[in-house]
Amino acid sequence: MDWAGWALFGLIATTGLTVVMIAAQLAGRTRLDLPLMLGTVVTEDPDRARVAGFFIHLVMGQAFALGYAATFALLDRSDWWLGALLGLLHAAVALTVLVPLLPGIHPRMASHRAGPASTAVLEPPGLLGLNYGLETPLVTTAAHLLYGILLGVLLTGG
Amino acid sequence: MNRIPRPAQRCPTPIEDYGLIGDTRTAALVSSDGAIDWLCVPRFDGEVVFGRLVGGPDAGTFRMGPASPAPVVERRYRPDTTTLETSWAVGASRLTLVEGMVAEVAGRLLPTTLLVRRLIATGGPVEALVELDPRLGEEHHPPRIRVGSRDTVCAWGSLALSLGCSPPSRIDVGSPTRITVAPDRPLTLTLAVAHREPLVRVEPEAAWNLLAEDQASWATWTAEVDGQVPYREAVVRSLLTLRLLTHSPSGAPVAAPTTSLPESPGGMRNWDYRYAWPRDASIGVGAFLGAGKVSEARGFLAWLLHASRLSRPQLPVLLTIYGRKAPGERELRAWPGYTDSRPVRVGNAAADQHQLDGYGWVIDAAWVLERAGHRLYSETWRAVRSFANLVARRWSEPDAGIWEIRGDPTHHVHSKLMAWLALDRALRIADTHRLSARQRRRWSTARDAIAEAVASRGFDKDRGTYTRSYGSAELDAALLILPLVGLDERDSSRLHGTIDAVWTDLGAGGPLLFRYPPGSDGLAGTEGAFLPCSFWLVQALACVGRTREARELFESLLDHASPLGLYAEEMDPASKAHLGNYPQALTHAALVQAALALRDAV
Repeated sequence: MDWAGWALFGLIATTGLTVVMIAAQLAGRTRLDLPLMLGTVVTEDPDRARVAGFFIHLVMGQAFALGYAATFALLDRSDWWLGALLGLLHAAVALTVLVPLLPGIHPRMASHRAGPASTAVLEPPGLLGLNYGLETPLVTTAAHLLYGILLGVLLTGG
Repeated sequence: MNRIPRPAQRCPTPIEDYGLIGDTRTAALVSSDGAIDWLCVPRFDGEVVFGRLVGGPDAGTFRMGPASPAPVVERRYRPDTTTLETSWAVGASRLTLVEGMVAEVAGRLLPTTLLVRRLIATGGPVEALVELDPRLGEEHHPPRIRVGSRDTVCAWGSLALSLGCSPPSRIDVGSPTRITVAPDRPLTLTLAVAHREPLVRVEPEAAWNLLAEDQASWATWTAEVDGQVPYREAVVRSLLTLRLLTHSPSGAPVAAPTTSLPESPGGMRNWDYRYAWPRDASIGVGAFLGAGKVSEARGFLAWLLHASRLSRPQLPVLLTIYGRKAPGERELRAWPGYTDSRPVRVGNAAADQHQLDGYGWVIDAAWVLERAGHRLYSETWRAVRSFANLVARRWSEPDAGIWEIRGDPTHHVHSKLMAWLALDRALRIADTHRLSARQRRRWSTARDAIAEAVASRGFDKDRGTYTRSYGSAELDAALLILPLVGLDERDSSRLHGTIDAVWTDLGAGGPLLFRYPPGSDGLAGTEGAFLPCSFWLVQALACVGRTREARELFESLLDHASPLGLYAEEMDPASKAHLGNYPQALTHAALVQAALALRDAV
């Protein structure tokens, strides 16, 4: 497996994904703010949360990149389209499983069952993250496609 | 137990006859004859399952009460809770309906929506009637019914209702059922809702205990309300109503749980209020904070900032509870409407308007929190800066105004005053937050220009009052927020002149006010007096030191509440019937603000 590539290119691909997400957010396409969502697990101050969340996201991106590298090694090949396919799968899992399940473990995210005693302030993302804007699935898919393509191009399959 | 023929449709029940029960995710309206005639699931803006209120006799209801007409002898909320009690005298006996929705379901295997209703007989057995007739959506679809050993399930695709009953009795769906309630055997019914998830069945006795737990939680919640607030009972009822209308999962405050209750009986001013207005949320910040409920105040501001993220720096007029653009307005042509008031509308076309005043309300809410010692996060300050920049750039443009008039935009004086307020409060917040000198100059220059423009073009020197719009002779009751703005000193003749002129010109008898001269909104017909304006008058009088008048007016307004202490948006000045969507969050927030002004005046 391409361990050196994983260590470096995982960071690059995660940074690329983050850039797409933040750019889409600044352009008013989505309210999905991954650094904020992840960082508010450890602090409620949005600005500090974004810093913490960025690093948490880098670690998670690196972990996911391990899966990509292992897949490329197993298949003994890596291509941009193979990375894109894995990116699509990754986006589908994120939108249909990971993001909707977040309210179950996030201390500051409400669920759709929250009542008056709830002190959670982040609204639940809902299926496909649609509560954060109708374009959220598109933005998320585009970001993960870029992540997968970058890894597919930069990692070696052997 | 036996079945009886379906009764003829009840006469239109007065709006003020309804009580509100809810779980902070959705809410139901219950009449004094025990009929739930309005409930949307799984959220405030979801599909209607009991819609008889505006959908006619085929739109569904859930009634529990005496089998024969009987006078209501007592109706009240249990003190400091949201549990509703209605008692009827039936011969020498009494039948009492106790009902509510379980709000706290998180962290437990419970249905997201759980309605609990119990009939208790005292003095002897009483023959009661149960009518469960759920109909889904615009077409009043009847459910598929499955009768099991433990419950009766009504299902439509991914939505299902489960009716539980203790002691076990067969309740026929769609037709009334008579049941004799013995004094020592109360009848408890539960209605659990499942939407895109499996049904969770709850034994009626367990559900009753959950409702009791909720009562204790609400009592704890209300105990936190500032003990110095005058007219505590009315204020607490208003705060509870505001909280019931706040969607807990998102933090969004809905303006009202209903659509198309008419602003004049038989008229066309029928709007969908099951959405969240940033203006209402901002007013709610002050109401909750002033009453000592800090987390609710912070929650409203958090929702405002989150929900407006996609459109920033523009502030949407209204949003869905999850912060999306409200759906386009359409008419439900087959729905007869309340007292034949057509059309019944869903969606809201005001979403596309430009309303300058909204920015003032939002920035003032941020200032209120900052002033109370709750330092704003940098992100909040960035949002405030972007709103203030937009106001500094666009204040000179005409807008639709606070009343969402569906005609050409105009230069509303109230909007300009709120623009002044936006910049003034942003500058005050800037004293403790970073702001470039260039931005500060721009805001300050715009603020001064607004003051100049309002003084020269929005003030009638002959009458000594601010006007509805530039050069207009008409008045606007929204100008009653003037004492809070701070543009004029509190002893200024301009301010007193405006309060007196609005009271005189727009007075509708007693404490009631029209929001603008009746019939001047471009729509056919007329409308009632606008209740929030009356509370703004109380607030204005209290702020300028006319406390005695303010107190008299406030007490008179309390006499105009529904028997349960609720208010609609408007009131018929002649009959004192409540009009418009009900209960209305803005009216209740204005009531709390008025009480707080009276407290602070003392």
